[in-house]
Amino acid sequence: MTGAVQVLDDAQRAGLAALADTLIPGGSGLPSASAAEVHGQWIDRALAARPELADAVLAVIGTVPEPVAGLGWLADLDRSLADRFTFAVAGAYFMNPVVRRALGYPGTAPRPLLAAPDEAEFYLDDDVLGPVLARGHVFRQPPEEPAR
Amino acid sequence: MSDSRNVADVLIIGAGMSAGVAARHLTDAGLRVVCLEQGEWVDPGNLPGNKPEYEVLGSGNWYPDPNVRRRREDYPLDVSESDLPLFMYNGVGGSSVLYGGIWARALPSDLRVRTLDGVADDWPISYAELVGWYQAVEAEMGVSGLDGNPAYPPGFAVPLDPAPIHRTGLTMAHGMNKLGWHWWPGTNAIPTRKYGEQEQCVRYGICRMGCPQGSKASTDVTHFPAAITRGLTVITRARVAEITVDERGLATGAVYFRDGQEHFQPASVVLMAANGIGTPRLLLMSTSRRFPHGLANSSGLVGKRLMVHPYASTVGVYDDELEDWLGPAGEHIGSMQFYETDASRGFVRGAKWSLIPVGGPLEAVDKWTGPTSLAEGGFWGEGSAEEMRTSIGHLMQWHIVPEDLPEEQNQVTLSTELTDSDGLPAPKIHYRVSENTRRIVDFNLARTLEAHEAAGATRSWVAGRNHTSGHNTGTARMGDDPATSVVDRWGRSHDVPNLYVIDGSVFPTSTGVNVGATICALAKRTASHLVEQARHQVVGA
Repeated sequence: MTGAVQVLDDAQRAGLAALADTLIPGGSGLPSASAAEVHGQWIDRALAARPELADAVLAVIGTVPEPVAGLGWLADLDRSLADRFTFAVAGAYFMNPVVRRALGYPGTAPRPLLAAPDEAEFYLDDDVLGPVLARGHVFRQPPEEPAR
Repeated sequence: MSDSRNVADVLIIGAGMSAGVAARHLTDAGLRVVCLEQGEWVDPGNLPGNKPEYEVLGSGNWYPDPNVRRRREDYPLDVSESDLPLFMYNGVGGSSVLYGGIWARALPSDLRVRTLDGVADDWPISYAELVGWYQAVEAEMGVSGLDGNPAYPPGFAVPLDPAPIHRTGLTMAHGMNKLGWHWWPGTNAIPTRKYGEQEQCVRYGICRMGCPQGSKASTDVTHFPAAITRGLTVITRARVAEITVDERGLATGAVYFRDGQEHFQPASVVLMAANGIGTPRLLLMSTSRRFPHGLANSSGLVGKRLMVHPYASTVGVYDDELEDWLGPAGEHIGSMQFYETDASRGFVRGAKWSLIPVGGPLEAVDKWTGPTSLAEGGFWGEGSAEEMRTSIGHLMQWHIVPEDLPEEQNQVTLSTELTDSDGLPAPKIHYRVSENTRRIVDFNLARTLEAHEAAGATRSWVAGRNHTSGHNTGTARMGDDPATSVVDRWGRSHDVPNLYVIDGSVFPTSTGVNVGATICALAKRTASHLVEQARHQVVGA
C-alpha cells in the first residue's frame, strides 16, 4: 500500500548501517541490521509507512559522530528522539522476511479458525477447567434491587 | 447556512459503536434516522493488519491516539493536565474499529458500588435489567465464548462457540490452577464462524489495528450496512458544532460543518453518541441563553467524573514456543480472581485480567523498551539477537483493567488553547490516576507476576502501567436525581426531554471490565425505549 520513498542518500545509508549495527549486531542465527539491509529497501519501506519518522532518522545520523562503537551514543540522545530512531530501525529489521524466518515469525498470514473441528475442545481436555468449576461462583450478588 | 427542512425522526451525533446499535434498532422500527459523523467509512483494504509493514503503520495513521493520527477528522485533545493520553477513533464504526474485541458484561456488583462498598454511586438500573439487552447485542455482535463462566450469575451464554485458548492460554491455565485462581476461556466479539455480515476470524492477531478480514464486530460491519438498507442516512465528514434548542428548551437539531460549509440538520429527537469525550465537549459547546453553562448541564456534571481505566501489563518469557502472535486478540483467557472487593487488600473494587496475544516483534520489543517498562537492562546492543530469538514467540502478557472510580476533578472541559480544523474548541482533559486505582494496579501487577511464575515463566516483569484503554466513561452520568445526574435511567436528559445520551458518558461508575458490551446494551435499551415511548415523546419545533 505504501510506495518506497528514498529519503536517504548513500552517505546517510552508510551512517545508518553503522548505527543500526550497534543496536542489532546479529548472532544467534540472526543477521546484523546491515546484513538484513535495514539501511536499504527496508528503511525505505518503514519511512514510506511513517514518513514523519524520517526527521528522527536523519537527525540521529547527522548528530552522532563517526565512528560509532557501543551504545553510548544512544544514551546521549533525547529519549523521544532515541525511541523514534530505534523504532524505525527495528521496524525495518523485522519487516525483512529473512529475519522473520529466522525468528520463526510468519507475519500476519491467515490461518484457519479452527485448525481442526475440535481444536477449541482439545485445549480443554484433561478437565483443565475442572478446578475452576469446582470452586463455584466467585461473584458478589448485591442484597437487593434499588427502589424504582 | 443550508437547512433542508428534511426533519429526521432521530438524529444521532456520531456513527460509532453505540450509534450503530441504536441506528439499526431505530430503522428496524421504521424511524427516519440520520447520523452525523466527522470521519469517513473505513476501507478494509487500507487497514494495516495484513501488510508486511503493519506494525509501523499501526503506530501512525492507525494509532488510536488522535493526537498521533492527526487526521483532518481528528479533533486534538489537550492533555496538558492529564496523566495519560486518551484513545478514540473518529469514523464510521468509531472506536469499535480499533478495539480488541474483548467482550465483557459488567457484574452485578459493578452496578451497586455504593451499596456494597460505600463509595461512588449505585447505578439506577441493575444487572438483572441489563441481561436481556446484553443477550440481544451479543447476538448482533457475533460474540464467541464458553458458556457457564462462574464469575457471572448462572445463565451466562453467548451465541457462538469459543475460540481455542491456544498454547498460551493452556500454559497459563495450568499456572492459574496451581494457584487455585479463577480463569475462563476468552469471550470476544470475534466470530468463530461466518456470522451474518462478519467473516470467520483468520487469526491475524491484529484486532486493535482494525480487522482487514471483516470478522471482528465493529459497527461499520455489523450494524450500519443493515441500517442503511432500511433507510438510515450517514453523513460523513460532518463535524457537529452545536445542538440547537427552541424557546421551550427542546432540541431541534444540529449545526455542523462539512468541507468548510455550515449546515443544519433538523430533528425531532437527538441522540448523543460521540463517546465519553466528544459528547460532553459538544454539550458544553452548545450554550444558549436558556442553557448558559452548556446543554443538559443543570447539574453541573457534564464533563465531570471522567473515568478511563488506566490499565497495566506484565509479561513473562517462556521456554516453549507459544506462537504469541496468534489471534483472536481479543483475549485467549481471562480472570476475575481479584475482581471483587476484599477490604484486606487496602483498596475497594478490583480488576479484570486478560491474556492477550503479544502481537508482532515490534510490540514484543516494546515490553523491554516501553516508557514504563521495568525490564532489567536494555534490549539493544550485544545480546539483542539472542533476546529476540528466545523471546519472540515465547511471551505471554496479562493486561490488567482496574476499575476507575469517579472523581469530579477528573473532567473534560473546553480548551482555550487548541481548536480542531473547523476552529471549534478542543476538549481539555483533566485526569489524574487516583490512589485507589494505583493500589488496585499495584496489587494486581504483583499477582500477575505470581501467575507467570506458576505458569513456568523463566523471567517476568512489569511491562507498563497507565496505558490508555480507550474506555472513556462517566461524563454525563445517569441517575434518578436531576441534581446529581445528567440523564435518567433511559439515557434521557433531565433538562431536555428530547435529548438522549447513548455512549459511555452515561456510566455512573466505570465497572472493571472492557466497556463495549455495556455501551452496546445500554444503547439498545435506550433505542428500544424510544420506540416504545414514541407516541409520548415530546419533540422540538
